[in-house]
Amino acid sequence: MDRLLLGVDAIAFLDKEGIRVLESSLARDENEAASMASRIGFPVALKISSPDVIHKTETGGIRVLLKSEQEVRQAFREVTTVFRSDSPEKKLEGVMVQKLGRGFELIVGARKDRQFGHVLMFGLGGIYAEAAKDVSFRLIPVTKRDAREMIEELQCYGMLKNPRSGTVDLPGIEDFLLQVSALIEKHEEIQEMDLNPVFASSSDIEVCDARIRIG
Amino acid sequence: MTNAKLKDLFCPESVAVVGASNSFDKLGYHVMKSLVQGNYGGRIFPVNPKAQQVWGINTHPALSEIREAVDLAVIAVPAPFVPEVLHECGRKRVKGVVMITAGFKEIEDAKGQALENELGSIARQYDLPIIGPNTFGFVNRTFGVNASFTPEFSLLEKGGVALISQSGGMCHLCGFLAMEQRMGVSKLMSLGNRLNVGFPELLKHLVEDDEQTRVITLYIEGLDDPRDLLDTAKSLRGRKHIIAYKAGKSEKGDSASRFHTGSLAGDYQIWKGALRQAGILEVTSAEELIDTAKVLDKCPPAKGPRIAVLSGQAGPGMIAADAVEKTGLKLARFSEKTQEEINRLLPPIAIRTNPVDMGPSWYDTKNILDILKAALEDEGTDGIIFIAMFASANVHLAKGMADYLNSMDHFKKPVVGVFTAPPGIWDNEIRAMDGQKGLSIVPTPERAAAVLANLWKANLLFG
Repeated sequence: MDRLLLGVDAIAFLDKEGIRVLESSLARDENEAASMASRIGFPVALKISSPDVIHKTETGGIRVLLKSEQEVRQAFREVTTVFRSDSPEKKLEGVMVQKLGRGFELIVGARKDRQFGHVLMFGLGGIYAEAAKDVSFRLIPVTKRDAREMIEELQCYGMLKNPRSGTVDLPGIEDFLLQVSALIEKHEEIQEMDLNPVFASSSDIEVCDARIRIG
Repeated sequence: MTNAKLKDLFCPESVAVVGASNSFDKLGYHVMKSLVQGNYGGRIFPVNPKAQQVWGINTHPALSEIREAVDLAVIAVPAPFVPEVLHECGRKRVKGVVMITAGFKEIEDAKGQALENELGSIARQYDLPIIGPNTFGFVNRTFGVNASFTPEFSLLEKGGVALISQSGGMCHLCGFLAMEQRMGVSKLMSLGNRLNVGFPELLKHLVEDDEQTRVITLYIEGLDDPRDLLDTAKSLRGRKHIIAYKAGKSEKGDSASRFHTGSLAGDYQIWKGALRQAGILEVTSAEELIDTAKVLDKCPPAKGPRIAVLSGQAGPGMIAADAVEKTGLKLARFSEKTQEEINRLLPPIAIRTNPVDMGPSWYDTKNILDILKAALEDEGTDGIIFIAMFASANVHLAKGMADYLNSMDHFKKPVVGVFTAPPGIWDNEIRAMDGQKGLSIVPTPERAAAVLANLWKANLLFG
């Protein structure tokens, strides 16, 4: 039977496997949220955590750039109230408190194709992923050269390497793709995995959100 | 399927045609025509229980009645008879089979699949390599055998390009384009249903065991196990150029998937990445396939993207320059020495920087080829587009170039020519020049730029 890992569970799984993730914890109430935010360091983001919600932006379940405990408490109350009134049928696990991601939003994905077996995908991420369809594919396992070519094949490559639009650690992305490829080789039971967005800056590459289907 | 078995299949000393016929509406008629009119040098054994002679050659009532050894059997009898014929082939120790007969797994009726499975087990029993079923056959221009139902393929020029296709129709399209474009072919075939000889086996044979083949082109529709082909190509990387044209580009990703990766992964998107990963150069049209294969076969590699455009007329040169930049190549910047040499050869009445307008040298072929030499010697150029349009006043240009070309050394960089004239006027000269010294000729400046871009890509894929 298929199993779906979302939000905090997916992030925890990746963290355990040595994939860099944005520091995150699940808060059950606003006190917990405030103290977690202090520990992580401001600014933070809050995200509704529910097994029934896939696209959190569409349900208004995200608040970003929260700079103090007070802002965190207020945001906690807002997102949970909206969620309960808009989606009374959906289960609320809590609210994820997460370090704020910085840099380019990328998507890294993997899936088991009927013909090719496991394939790796890389592309422009965030809310533009579906519209832009700026992606490249390789069969897993990938080599360093494959990873470099996956990056170069993107239409947004010019933007990624342009120092004026904020430098991105391109060799770091190569290593990250190799790491994801190795993770899928190790966990053949993963049917589909989306790491989206993955924030890439000059110094960090960190997964912000993930969905993993295990079968 | 070992390489040695395929070599025997493709280089038969004798061929039996089971289903050879004198009636035009039978494929066995056309296979016989291909062998006889294609000047096949080995023995031909038509097998037909009714006719005395087919195409003037005495027949045998059955394969088993032939006393001499038979290397290759071409089978063109109806599907229900094929299993028995295949047993006969096995007992007679035939080395290979071309199975033209169709009506197996490709048909809707489930009996087709069952019959094909039966063929598979008979072939295994005798360890018999089979091209097909459901193929038009193969042509080996190097060895001189046309074992197909299309006699006209014997007109293909001999050369270093192998055309391997999943579809017979695409092989005909590319084969005829190859004739039109004077592309030299080593082998041409459709693999049909790929009973036991598929792309991976062919690739191994062509790379490891076929010295005349320098460039391999694959037309692929769909494969059950694409990794087999891709892994084979990867293991042979850097030995011969492999070009692929993949059909079926429409996106049919699983739109129901809640995952981006699922919805973004059209089948073709994965193919595209996987081909590059395996070191295979992808092309997206039949003419690009022919141009690229032809030029890769005849020209030295393009080791970089810097292109010089030398044109007998300014306009086509400008078009070429535009196309160069559009395809990701760059216009070369001539060194001072090269520029001085070009300035010496051309009066200051035309553009002498890249693209060079050689118009003033219309009547001086030596000058034109000296400009080519200067551009070739420049360390800042990686390839040349060399253009001349016919005009009544320069009718002697092509002959002069063809003669002068003979005295030149072999080029160390690719030179792609575009020499266009009304039909019948420069035909002989173009034929004489095409493929000589590292010069290859294509129809238009745009195609010249596209093919040079592919030469550069192919060079990167090799490493």
